[in-house]
Amino acid sequence: MPITPDVYKKIVTAKVYMDENFHETIDLDLLSRQACLSRYHFHRLFTRIYQKTPHQYLTQKRVEQARQWLANDELTVSEICNNVGFESIGSFSVLFKKEIGFAPRYYRDRAQLKKQQAQQQPRSFIPHCFIDHFRHDPPPAP
Amino acid sequence: MITKLSHVSLFVLDQQKAYDFYVTTLGFKVNTDATMENGFRWLTVTAPDQPDLEIALLSPLQESMYPDPETRAAFKTLLEKGALGAGVLHTPDCRASYEELKAKGVVFKSEPKEQFYGVEAVVTDGVGNWFSMTQPAAR
Repeated sequence: MPITPDVYKKIVTAKVYMDENFHETIDLDLLSRQACLSRYHFHRLFTRIYQKTPHQYLTQKRVEQARQWLANDELTVSEICNNVGFESIGSFSVLFKKEIGFAPRYYRDRAQLKKQQAQQQPRSFIPHCFIDHFRHDPPPAP
Repeated sequence: MITKLSHVSLFVLDQQKAYDFYVTTLGFKVNTDATMENGFRWLTVTAPDQPDLEIALLSPLQESMYPDPETRAAFKTLLEKGALGAGVLHTPDCRASYEELKAKGVVFKSEPKEQFYGVEAVVTDGVGNWFSMTQPAAR
C-alpha cells in the first residue's frame, strides 16, 4: 500500500527529531508522538522507509556523531559517550567497535594521527597524477 | 585488469559550501582534507554505504588549480549554468529523502516521479551540479 505525502512528512519529522536530539533519552513512545502515529504504525512505517528500525537508526546516529567528535574534538571518550546519549562506556565501546571496526580510543589515535600527517605532509595524501596534472610541482630544470 | 573505481573528481563552485552540502546535509563522511602550501585543497568525501569510493570535491576556480584565467572563467560559466550533471545517488526511499532535504532548503529540479527503473527526483548541490536521486525499483 502506498504511503501518502502526509505520512511521509510525519515519519521524516520523527527522523529529524532523532537527528537533532540524539543526545536525549528517546523511546518509541516519544517518537510516535512526534509523528502523530501509533507506536505500531510508526515502527512499521519507519522500518519500511529507512530499512532499519528506529532503535537501529538512533544507535547508528549516536555512533556516527561519536566518530566525528573522536576525530575532531578534545572531549574525553567518557564525555563523548555521555554527550551522544549512551548510558555506559561499556555498551558505547561495544557498539562503536561493531559499527566502526575499532575501539573508540584506537579510532581516535588513528584519526588524529592522519589529521596531523595531512597538515604536515599533504602531498602524501594526494594522488601524484593530480599534483602533476595541475602543475603543483615546479617544472624540472632544463 | 581494472577492478573498480576508487576516486572520482567533482568540480564545485565553492569547496566549503560543497562540504556543507555533502557532509552536513547529506551525511557523507570526510575521508581526507589536506591543503598544500600553495592553497590547493584536496577534500574527499564518501557516501555512507560506499566507503571505498572517494569523491574529490575540487574547485576549478582556484588559481592553484588552473592558473589560466580563461579556463577558470569557462568552468565558472558551466557550473553556474548547471551544465554539468554529475551522477546518480541511491536512496532507500526517494520520497522520504525528498521531504527531508526539501525541509533543509535543498533545491530540486524535479519532484519524485515513478520511472521504469525506480522513483527518481533531481536534486541540485548548490555548487554547480545536479544528481538523479533514485530509489531503485525492486527486481
